[in-house]
Amino acid sequence: MKCPRCGSPMNHHADKVFQVHDADSSTQKTFGGAVVEIHSCLACGAVATRSSS
Amino acid sequence: MNPRPIYIPVILGTTRKGRMSANVARLLTGEVAKQSGVESDLIDIANLPLPTDDAGEAIKDGIFSEKMERADGIVIVAPEYNHGYCGLLKHVLDSCLKEYVHKAVGIVGVSAGPWGGTRVIQSLLPVMRELGLVNIFWDVNFTSVQNAFAADGTLLEPAYVGRIDKFLKELVWMSKTLRYGREQIALN
Repeated sequence: MKCPRCGSPMNHHADKVFQVHDADSSTQKTFGGAVVEIHSCLACGAVATRSSS
Repeated sequence: MNPRPIYIPVILGTTRKGRMSANVARLLTGEVAKQSGVESDLIDIANLPLPTDDAGEAIKDGIFSEKMERADGIVIVAPEYNHGYCGLLKHVLDSCLKEYVHKAVGIVGVSAGPWGGTRVIQSLLPVMRELGLVNIFWDVNFTSVQNAFAADGTLLEPAYVGRIDKFLKELVWMSKTLRYGREQIALN
């Protein structure tokens, strides 16, 4: 993943359940929320997320 | 080495009028800034324009979010009110999530009595964990805070300086280590 702020590569260092309520979601049924990838930028320290597939 | 300075803001976790914790937060902000290669900032939750008719990330404040994203570690100054933390502190903390993950946090308990906020620290620990923050094993406990500072905010009890230094050394080490992990060590 590229940093949305500076375009540098980001490091995927965590997955975290975000409490969203979508009864039809498979991740909701498995984890009780949406699993989100947390990425940090090596250059500027920015944090970004994307859905875990 | 990463050229960006480590950034550790101090959150003053109460809006109560006459709050004695303001002296503690100002002291901590100054002591954090004395650490080599570390920048700090005092975040007074009373100055954050968060509405109370909703909660969580729906009411995220841009400036607070930006500071939490930039932060490598956080100091929370938490007065103990009726054995718990200030509700508005929780309201502010809940407004972010991704910004906190794998970052260090140290808690400074404050009380008018002899226990120095030990109960508020204990009650904040599970909240820190769920937010993705990593708590250090040093705390600072301000007991009888009304006697710890002069009217002008000057610290009257020098022993606190040594305790704060131990606390901050651990927090800075953890902040550097977790930054390295966030930026260099992949989950898989």
